[in-house]
Amino acid sequence: MKFDFTEDQHEIKRTAKDLLAARSTLEKQREAAEAGEYDLALWAELADLGWPGVAVEEAFGGGGLGYVELAGLLEEAGYALLNGPFLSTAICAAAISEAGSDSQKEEWLGRLASGEATGAFGLEGEIVPDGASSDVVVVAAPDGSSARLLTGEGAMPALQTIDPTRRYGIAEGELAEGEEMPGDVAAAIDLATVLVSAELVGVCRRVLDMTVEYVKDRKQFGRPVGSFQAVQHRCAQMLLSTEGARATTYFAAWAADSDRERLPEAASLAKSAASKAGVEVTASAIQAHGGIGFTWEADVHWFFKRAELDAAFLGSSGEHDRRLTALLSS
Amino acid sequence: MDLTFSEEEIEFRDELRDWLGSNPPGEEPRSDQDAAFAFRKEWQNSLFEGGWAAVHWPREYGGRDASLMQSAIFFEEMGRANAPLPANGLGLILAGPTIIAWGSDQQKDRFLLPILSAEEIWCQGFSEPEAGSDLAAVKTKAVQDGDEWVVTGQKVWTSVAQYSKWCMLVARTDPEAAKHKGLSYFLMDMEQEAVQIRPLVQITGEAEFNELFLEEARIPADNMLGGEGDGWNVALTTLMNERSGLGFFLQTQLRRALDRLVEDAKENGQIDDPVVAQALGEMHVRTETLRLLAYRGLSIIEQHGQPGPEGSLTKWLWSETNQMLSQLAVGIRGAKSLTEGDPWAYDLLRSRGNSIEGGTTEILKNIVAERVLGLPRK
Repeated sequence: MKFDFTEDQHEIKRTAKDLLAARSTLEKQREAAEAGEYDLALWAELADLGWPGVAVEEAFGGGGLGYVELAGLLEEAGYALLNGPFLSTAICAAAISEAGSDSQKEEWLGRLASGEATGAFGLEGEIVPDGASSDVVVVAAPDGSSARLLTGEGAMPALQTIDPTRRYGIAEGELAEGEEMPGDVAAAIDLATVLVSAELVGVCRRVLDMTVEYVKDRKQFGRPVGSFQAVQHRCAQMLLSTEGARATTYFAAWAADSDRERLPEAASLAKSAASKAGVEVTASAIQAHGGIGFTWEADVHWFFKRAELDAAFLGSSGEHDRRLTALLSS
Repeated sequence: MDLTFSEEEIEFRDELRDWLGSNPPGEEPRSDQDAAFAFRKEWQNSLFEGGWAAVHWPREYGGRDASLMQSAIFFEEMGRANAPLPANGLGLILAGPTIIAWGSDQQKDRFLLPILSAEEIWCQGFSEPEAGSDLAAVKTKAVQDGDEWVVTGQKVWTSVAQYSKWCMLVARTDPEAAKHKGLSYFLMDMEQEAVQIRPLVQITGEAEFNELFLEEARIPADNMLGGEGDGWNVALTTLMNERSGLGFFLQTQLRRALDRLVEDAKENGQIDDPVVAQALGEMHVRTETLRLLAYRGLSIIEQHGQPGPEGSLTKWLWSETNQMLSQLAVGIRGAKSLTEGDPWAYDLLRSRGNSIEGGTTEILKNIVAERVLGLPRK
């Protein structure tokens, strides 16, 4: 058993982390969020590096690696609060790979993998990241019984959410339009669920790092607030939640590549843990930052907002808990 | 990333499963503590005969040189087979590995074999009324008298003391030295007048634990483990072993309890209530998270030689989950879960101790904050 990334996979992650630390600073994220724009130059660079297509089969112009590698990249994207259509394009490619017809794969996978086209994926009736601003959108029935592929920007109405770091659309009635998709829609949903969990793991890790740094530095009553047990225990709880989300998400990414029978359960385990951790850990980060954490000027709120939207996307923690009981007791 | 067992690990597991198949543990008697202990002693003897008593010990001392992963598999299989913990669990998990690490050849020859066979039971004399979480505050003192040490003091939370031949005893040999520097580690014979045992009745009504009163108990100088003043370091070896593979046994117990509760909820129809379904799902997530964290922790030690943060998290997560589960059972099964003799009633009470024994949750959080996250000490 090797319950960790291989050396190659670590290398991919490290490289991604270094690149994003340099090119996708929180200052840049703030600028983009406040202007309501994506950093398209960075997106082009990531597409050149093959990020959106890392798990797409080589036959369709992808990198031919797996969902473990893609999850690793998304974790780093979450860590950097990356703006732009990386998550949405990657999960759209995963959805078309699983649920698309041969001609749909032929038409879209190569373009999504190269970044020439952007994509989105979501559930009917729900908020869809980049749903209103992508070249191709896949909308699935929440029960996995069917899915449609829609093209062209404005496939669905745009929506303002509390998260200005990302654009969103709302899928309303899209299942009646577009092209039918003949493949495994349930698997497409599960894969997307794992991938958004990976982004949440990165979000949790980042705010935990930010919080630990802050409470070591911030002094009250003549000593660092991080030396108070109440603050220490809060941070310990953040670590427990983060590591639980991480272990379940890595397991699910591995199952996506290597044990498809366990994917439905693994995906729900990961999303339940990651949604819960995402909301709790980012909220806890605001609290640990005290008054400054409640200001627009501090950066923790971007992560809280991203986490709230990610946590609700493709099923909340409670929804996945109920699904697990149904899976378990059937 | 590869979450499958290696061929060697599968071979180990299958050999153990075969053995368990032909040597089923049977049902532990619940009502009578002495009968239960005798049952567990017999079970350990059966493990010993089969060469399974201490898989994690080196082969030269009667173990199987099991890797961390194989030890985990061992405990997981024991849990799955509904086996009881062996009677001399403290000897196998704590005393044996500590003697192997620190003992002289004579000490190893004298003590190891009877630990394996359960012929000599061991207890642990660390905690004291004034030294619970703070081991360095031990007050029990040992004074040299010729080739013997004379020990006076009090110990608490000593489980299986009434059945024990030996005690792993930490006592203060140098009252002048700094707190943790004045300690030494002894192997004390329990069979002497100067050692008085008083059962400590706990909230379940049983007495798993005891108080020990030592009035000039005598220990031959040869029974010091490590050197004079090494007690703190020897004790750390013992404590490091405390959280080994056992967690996998506890995780499988938790898994089985949750499966039983799901069955109960199906039977009485509660599972159709979304609130109940969600609560059971949450327990499933916690139980599987525990298993995955434990495996990830082991795997990272095997791959990188250094533990990650997982080891300090699993005991905390386990105790919290076990408490939540027995409380949920009361909600799902109703007040019959609160009646005398109901297994859930027992678990409800017993689980309150889980977040105290073997390191309170508060201490574990302190350790995580200071040693894993690097937050400043007071």
